[in-house]
Amino acid sequence: MAWVITEACIGTKQAACVQVCPVDCIYDAGDHYIINPAECIDCRMCEPECPVEAIYSDDEVPEDMQHYITKAHEFDYSEIAPGFGSN
Amino acid sequence: MSAMKQRSLEEVKALSAEEAVEIMRQAGIVGAGGGGFPTYFKYKAPQQHLMVNATESEPGYWADKLVHKEHLEEFLQLFEAMKAIFGFEQVSMCVHEKDREWFADYAEHAGDLYDMRYAPNTYAMGEEKNLIKGVTDTKVPRFMDTPDGKRRPGLPLDAGIIMNNSETLLNVYRALFLGKPFTTKFLQVYGEETEIKVYEAPIGASFAEILEIAGIDVENSRHLAVVDGGPYLHEKGIDELGTGDAYVKRTTNALFVLLKYKQGKEYADMETDPPEEGIVSLVGNVSGAHVPLGGPALTPAEPIVSEGDEVEYEQKIGEPVDEGFSVGVWASVGGTISSIENDLVAIAGGAIAQEEAETEAEAEAKAARPRPR
Repeated sequence: MAWVITEACIGTKQAACVQVCPVDCIYDAGDHYIINPAECIDCRMCEPECPVEAIYSDDEVPEDMQHYITKAHEFDYSEIAPGFGSN
Repeated sequence: MSAMKQRSLEEVKALSAEEAVEIMRQAGIVGAGGGGFPTYFKYKAPQQHLMVNATESEPGYWADKLVHKEHLEEFLQLFEAMKAIFGFEQVSMCVHEKDREWFADYAEHAGDLYDMRYAPNTYAMGEEKNLIKGVTDTKVPRFMDTPDGKRRPGLPLDAGIIMNNSETLLNVYRALFLGKPFTTKFLQVYGEETEIKVYEAPIGASFAEILEIAGIDVENSRHLAVVDGGPYLHEKGIDELGTGDAYVKRTTNALFVLLKYKQGKEYADMETDPPEEGIVSLVGNVSGAHVPLGGPALTPAEPIVSEGDEVEYEQKIGEPVDEGFSVGVWASVGGTISSIENDLVAIAGGAIAQEEAETEAEAEAKAARPRPR
């Protein structure tokens, strides 16, 4: 189980989720934030914080946004620190 | 009819929903799992289904499981009473798959009164909406539109459910059946260099004092820190032992000891065995308390005591106010009110300090010994 940040984050990147994540598993992926599923503990603290309702449980991501799940799994987290990033 | 007093099962069952809600409010019960949401308010809108969240989740936790082990009879009576008072059609005990064996005695008694629900271990954090998804066919909506045109996150009640954690419900039992207010917190002390202990600690007790009781040489352990919570979810405790202090809140579930340069999540694989001695009560065994009049989601209660007053254990010291959510506040130790500042009531000399108690005990033992002729 993990949570997934989707389309609505693009152009918003308000970062409320980054601030509340207790395990710092949210990274800056450029256009949007991204949750590392290997580190997510499924605590759900981020979901209600998102002002644009971009965060879904991985088993509830809408059909047209499934590619965000794949991206979250395949993203290379090794080169960046979690958090706000440069934007 | 909502006085704090002992009641038989029949008397509790005869309470109206309003009376029971008022007892919970006066008793000061808030969600003990960590949320701290006032319990009485959940019961103002009774639902069909009561779910017990017994899926304590932080790595190494045992307190809720021990609470269930030691209080089966109380939970059975409470389930019967809650059905009568609030008209629940269903009561469910929700536990993790991995704890099936631990809860075997609850499974044995399950039937018409309540059922057992086993949550996949992957729902690791015990978050209530995840748990509902894991053990029922219903789902809490992600968001709800409110009549004033706003949106709020969905709540269990949107799926016809009231969920409480184990300890919270034991506190409801104590209020309704025993007339006892919420003055103690079940918590575990564990982590680095610390063998796990599970205590029933007075709310407002000092972290440093509890750590000493648990066998940690606080003054000489500057390399250690302690957080209020577990490896994952926690709040600030003491950043360097021997410097400063923190106090047990209504939402404190653990004092987790860690090397001060480490992060909690580095202890994610922490495993513990339940302590052989079970839950040890520290009531009467701490030297004082800083009792909060408020808390998360709470408007502070109005203090009804003043500096210098003597108070007894379980004496009311704060009256709930009408604005927002507010609950009654009660002395968790006996002693003298030494200050009321920043919505904290400090009670000093609640019990005899540990060292003094030991000296006295030794003196008593000596006195009791037959003298040689």
